[in-house]
Parts: sequence; structure tokens; C-alpha cells
Amino acid sequence: MSDILFSAFLLSVVLLGINSYFGLEIIRRGIIFTDLAIGQTAALGAAVSLFFFDGRLMYPISLLFALLAGLLISLVARRSNNLEAFIGLMYAFGFAAVYIILSKSYHGMEEFQKLMAADILFTPMKDITHTALLYAALGAFIWFVQRRTTGTLRDILFFVTFAVTVTSAVRLAGVLVLFSLLVGPALIATVIGRGIPLVNAWVIGTLVNVGAIALSYRFDFPTGYTIVFCNALLALLAVMLRRGGNSSPHH
Amino acid sequence: MKRTALFVILAAGILALPLTAAKLQVVTTYPYIAKLTEHIGGAQVNVHALAGGQWDPHTIMAKPSFIAKLRRADLLIINGAQLEIGWLPPLLSQANNPKVNVGSQGMLDLSRAVKLIDVPDSVSRAHGDIHPDGNPHYYLNPDNMLPLAEAIAAKLERMDPAASQTFVENLAQFKLKWQAKLAEWEKRLAPLSGAWVIEYHKNYDYLLRRYGLQLLGTVELLPGIPPTSKHIQELENKIAGAKVRCILQDVYNPDEASRHLASKHDIPMIKLPHDVGAVREAEGLFSMFDEIVRRLSHE
Repeated sequence: MSDILFSAFLLSVVLLGINSYFGLEIIRRGIIFTDLAIGQTAALGAAVSLFFFDGRLMYPISLLFALLAGLLISLVARRSNNLEAFIGLMYAFGFAAVYIILSKSYHGMEEFQKLMAADILFTPMKDITHTALLYAALGAFIWFVQRRTTGTLRDILFFVTFAVTVTSAVRLAGVLVLFSLLVGPALIATVIGRGIPLVNAWVIGTLVNVGAIALSYRFDFPTGYTIVFCNALLALLAVMLRRGGNSSPHH
Repeated sequence: MKRTALFVILAAGILALPLTAAKLQVVTTYPYIAKLTEHIGGAQVNVHALAGGQWDPHTIMAKPSFIAKLRRADLLIINGAQLEIGWLPPLLSQANNPKVNVGSQGMLDLSRAVKLIDVPDSVSRAHGDIHPDGNPHYYLNPDNMLPLAEAIAAKLERMDPAASQTFVENLAQFKLKWQAKLAEWEKRLAPLSGAWVIEYHKNYDYLLRRYGLQLLGTVELLPGIPPTSKHIQELENKIAGAKVRCILQDVYNPDEASRHLASKHDIPMIKLPHDVGAVREAEGLFSMFDEIVRRLSHE
């Protein structure tokens, strides 16, 4: 059993690494649901591939859809004050479009669930290594290139790298696990407000995930949902219990 | 005195050890298979079902214990016909137990023992969008329990030849009791022959065919796709032209559409168990079909 739990732990570490950065960034920008909108658009890409191409080219089509969503959000972010509404509606659009497409496909929903309903318990080591390499490359790109850009280019690069991250993470861990890993530890780190937020998010997220995986094993809970439960609950408690009213990064 | 007692306990423990260790560890995907295996294997096997009887058999949410069970298994018995396709393959690859992998001695696919209905022809299969093996809910025709029991007995005999006498006897006993029940169910359902029914999902097709009930349509648009307004309208047009006896609803799909049709057209909606444990009364194989027959015939 320990090898399965270890690979779940390893996956959570890999996901936490880059997603804590994005989590802190989307909390700062106030665009929390970007990840759900991009994830759902990637799912729409998967549905399109399933319906029109018999499931071929699924990853490239999903990625294309996710990139398109990322670009659209970055463009609207420059011009509009209604960004959060735009992002929310993009999620609803993606969700509805998936249902409409698959309603015309016999056994479509089963096929689709099979592809999208990932559980963190079942990720093969090969996929974890591939994702670790991809995220390392993305991390290096963000550190050495993206950090030195400004203005529109910086925004576009941010959303493009985010889209690539979300597309592969959703396939590995599912939309909900990704969302909780992205926002949970980052929010706790933001509330703490001391030290280096990114490092805090990594340490906190790792501890929470170890606890969640142990809980899921001890009480035989579904592992993915236990991780979501623990990250969300602790972040909610952190926000409610924080001392003083101001958690902004300005000291 | 004390020493003798200790010795007896120790000796009993040592004698019991190989006996418990020799028990065949059987894992089944669904509860009905576990019950059937218990009837045949008796005290010679340890049986665990992965899925719960109240859950949607197409999408089972996996838990860590599933992998632990699959790793300990000598024999895995599945429903097959792709009913487990959405959840079992990743579990099997993570459990990585060569004894129960697809194609190995310790894996029994029960769908091979029966004749499936709604198998698409090769032309439409080329389009790649239809369930290739046919309707997987074959076990709700009680006739099929006999070939399933035989398949399980044959597999158990091969895996534990020392206990084969027990399996043969248990099988004979089960078949005798089951055949008596089949005669009783046949008699009780005879008056329903020719009646029209509607079902939510194509769960009960084998049962309906066996007892001569006719299917007017399904409430859901396609397997796994909730009904659309046009589909409901078409179904209502059909209801107007036929005398529908009942709407069959499973326990795990949403029942709002069925309830709506039932109250609008004054047709009873009947919740039927689809597996052992789906409703309180269906705690075993015999009681599940007793309950199905009771609910169907009494309305």
C-alpha cells in the first residue's frame, strides 16, 4: 500500500510546486476561478476530440482550447472591469457545451467521465515524472523569462503558462483536487502574511497533503476528496481565525 | 493444567494456521457476484465486493482499501461487458497483482458465460460510438444466475482442486433451490406478460424480456444522458397510445423525470433494486429477486 500512498504524495508535491505560485498570483489578482474556467475549457476540448475525432488528438485539442481560454482571459483582463463575471461565465459555457456535445454521442457521458474523472490515487509513476519535468521547465521559464517581462506580454505569458499547467494537472488529479491545491495553501500563506509566501505555501500544502493521505488511508476515504476537504477546511479556518482584519501583503 | 491448556491452544493455533492461509481470497466488483460466490465457495473462500449495492455501477468511486483488497486477491470476478470500464482498469494497474490481471488464471469475466442482448452489428461498431459488447445488465434475468454459478464453480474447482467436492455439492444445492425459486417467480410474474413498461436506464431489459414485458422507452435520452424536453414529449406521445403498467426507476439515477411522468399520466413508479443491497429488503440474491418480483407484481 505504501507505494500507492507515496505516489499520491509525490503527485501532490509536484502539483503543489508550481500551483502554489499560480495560487498566490490569482489570489493577488482576484481571479480565483480562472483555473476552473480554463480546466472546463480543456474538458470541452476533450469532448470535441471525442465527438468529432473519435477521441484522437485529445491532449493537443484540450491544450489548444485551454490556451485559447487563457489568451481570452488575459485580453479581457486588460480591457474590462467585469473580469470575474467573464471568467465565471466561461466556466458555465464550457460546462454546458460539454453536455450539449455529449448529448449527441451514444454512451458519451460514460466515455467522458472515464477520461476526466481522474483520482489522485491512480496516477502511474510515469505520468508523475513527465509532469514533474514539464513543471520544472515551466518553472524555469517563469523564473528566467516571464519575471523579466512587463505589461501585456507578462499577462499573456502568465495565462499561457497557467493554461499549460492546468491542462496537465486536471488530467492527473481532477478539477477539484487541482483547485484545492492551487488556492488552499496559497490562501493560508497569504493570511499568515510573514516570511516568503511561496515557501510557506509549499510547507503548509505538503503537511496538509500528508495528513490528508494518512486520513484517507486510516478511514478508507476517497483520497482525492480527502485532500480537497483538508485543504479547503484549513484555508477556511485560517481566514476565520486570523488575528486583525488586514491580511494584505502590505505590512 | 494451565500448561496443558496453553499447549492445546498453541497446537490448535498451529493447526488452524495453514487452514486459514489456504482459504482462497476472492474479490468481486459487485455485491451480487460476492453473494453468488459465497453460495458456491461456502467456507472455503473469503469473498469481498468492491462496489456498494446502492452505487451507480458505471461510476464507482475508488477508495484506498480497494487496492489493498485487489493486492491480496487470488481471484477477481467481474461482471464484464464493459460495466466496469469506467473505474476498474486504473485500479488494476495500480494494484499490480499479476494473479488477477486481465487474461490471467485468476480473473473471471462472467459476461462470457451468458448471451448478451443489444450487441451492435459490426457496421455501427466501426463508428466507434456504441457499447461494443451489448447491454451489461444481464444478471437481472434470474435464469442467468445458473450459468454464472456454473462458471464460478468451474473456476473455483480449478483454483482449489482439494475443495472441488465442496464446490460441486454447493453448486448442486444452489441450483436446486434457485430452480424452485425460478418456478415460483415465473408463476407470480406470468400475469404481467405482454404489459408495457418504461424504465429510466436500460437496467432491466433482460428481466423484461424473460417475463414477456414490453419496453415502451427509456426516460433518459441515451445511457448516461439526462432526458431532453423533446425526448419527454415523444415519450408522452407513446404513453398516450399505450397502456403503460409502470415506470421502473433505479435507486441511483435522479427520479424527478420519472416522478413527473408518473404523476402526470397516473402510472405507478416502481423503484427496483439493480444489485444486492440497493434496497433494504434485497440483502441476498434470493431476497433481491423476491423483492423485484414483489414490487413488480404488487405495484
